[in-house]
Amino acid sequence: MLKAIAEILTVPAITLGLVALLGLLLQKKEVTDVVKGTIKTILGILILGAGSSLIVTNLSPFATMFEEAFQLTGVVPVDEAVIAALVDSVAAIGRMTSFILLFGFLTNIVLARLTPFKYIFLTGHMMWILAGALAWAFHDLGVSETYGIIFGSIIHGIVLVLLPAISQPIVRKITGNDKVAYGHLTTTGVVASAWVGKVFGNKEQDSEKIKMPEKLSFFKDTAVSVSLIMFIIYIITALFAGPEVVNPLSDGQNYLVFSTLNALGFAAGVLVLLQGVRMFLGEIVPAFRGIALKIVPGAKPALDVPIFFPYAPNALMLGFLFSIIGMIVGMLVSTLFGTIVPLPSIIGGFFTGGIAGIFGNAMGGRRGAMISGLTYGIILTVPVALFYPLFGLEVYGVEGLAFLVPDGIIVLALIKLFFTLDIPIIGFIALLAAFILLSMFYKKKTSLES
Amino acid sequence: MEIITVCGMGFGTSLMLKMMVDDILEKEGIKAEVSALDAGSAKGRNADLIMASADLESALEAVEVSKIFIHNLTDADEVEQKLHDYLQKIHE
Repeated sequence: MLKAIAEILTVPAITLGLVALLGLLLQKKEVTDVVKGTIKTILGILILGAGSSLIVTNLSPFATMFEEAFQLTGVVPVDEAVIAALVDSVAAIGRMTSFILLFGFLTNIVLARLTPFKYIFLTGHMMWILAGALAWAFHDLGVSETYGIIFGSIIHGIVLVLLPAISQPIVRKITGNDKVAYGHLTTTGVVASAWVGKVFGNKEQDSEKIKMPEKLSFFKDTAVSVSLIMFIIYIITALFAGPEVVNPLSDGQNYLVFSTLNALGFAAGVLVLLQGVRMFLGEIVPAFRGIALKIVPGAKPALDVPIFFPYAPNALMLGFLFSIIGMIVGMLVSTLFGTIVPLPSIIGGFFTGGIAGIFGNAMGGRRGAMISGLTYGIILTVPVALFYPLFGLEVYGVEGLAFLVPDGIIVLALIKLFFTLDIPIIGFIALLAAFILLSMFYKKKTSLES
Repeated sequence: MEIITVCGMGFGTSLMLKMMVDDILEKEGIKAEVSALDAGSAKGRNADLIMASADLESALEAVEVSKIFIHNLTDADEVEQKLHDYLQKIHE
């Protein structure tokens, strides 16, 4: 009996359901809201799992096609799908993810209260991706579940307060105030790109003085953009692979029809997955926010990408277009490493490539936006290929996918580095020391400014 | 009453907006179901009101539901003012 209870409580969906339950109870919500929130969180995770298996099903013939056509291993970088697949296939990673998400967020609140980094990270899917990535790394390195959760949560919390601080000087330039922050796991990438944009740009020529085609805005619809891009990628690959390669996979169906259906199936999988993400985030984020705002007065919420779209719509489009070019350049560069070739991430291009454009415009005007987008596209591909062999994905049965977000890649690569040098504890202490030094420096700087 | 907040993915900005709207409704003592959705799914839903960032105006053109577009999503006053005006209008 006890074993059965322990078994059900440690199913990833149930664990995260309990996290939501706790959050809702702490906020003293009505019973109906508590029940609704808990059930929707659990269903959200289950739907997410269903979406990820749909993606994997539609991706597996593609992996063979791409390999045969170009003699390369092409992967689609989608963080949500990677984490969902890992959580789904390894129960330990699932449990660790839920706990790191909960304790990592609590660490964020405590640090916001105690240090000068007054940021509360509220971009839910990014928090979940980081929690999942840390769980994956520690599991892959053979760390026990308990230690994985303890160290994972502390690293999670520190990363969540540091990232918004890195981008805040540029965010202040864009919004003209200090009320909100940027909360995303692409921070290092977009900030670095914006600085490159500053070096080669010209601040006098603001991107918002030119007219841009309104037509490109349909890329904002995820269903449309994912379908179109995957269709193009699948068809080109199928044409290069030829019917003799595809026919054995397609079970007699015409090879172009088969590829089209698979491309759309992939997009459908992404939509199902996002529906799951939407469902559990819709419950968990408001619950977390309620707690955070009570404990940390004067906290600045670190928010998702589109918050900044209205400040520079032209720079957004420039960033998007040039990040796609950058990703194609990055793909070609990646072929040199002999690992995998990351295909262009259209969602990443529109949302975060767009942010790279907006940040680049703030630093270096129109040209700054273009160069920042281009740089960002390269940052979004080349490190993915370099990082891929560091942690196992295929050993967990996850094929054809890759981990994308630059900040996540940096954190996991550092963890791997310290484990490879056999000094993980020294690495951890160095992190804590660096964080304390940074917060002292940050405090001095903010008190000078005010 | 059912209100839908919309953004491209349906869990970033729309969720932030949902939380702002929830706070405002609670302050005004109005009960409403507020859910965050992506632009695609919002089209198929039968709500009383759709709220979104101004850059989604063209994407939601075809939807025949009352709509409020917010120009500056970080500006809580703009959200409150516009929602307040809408609520007054329907009560008349």
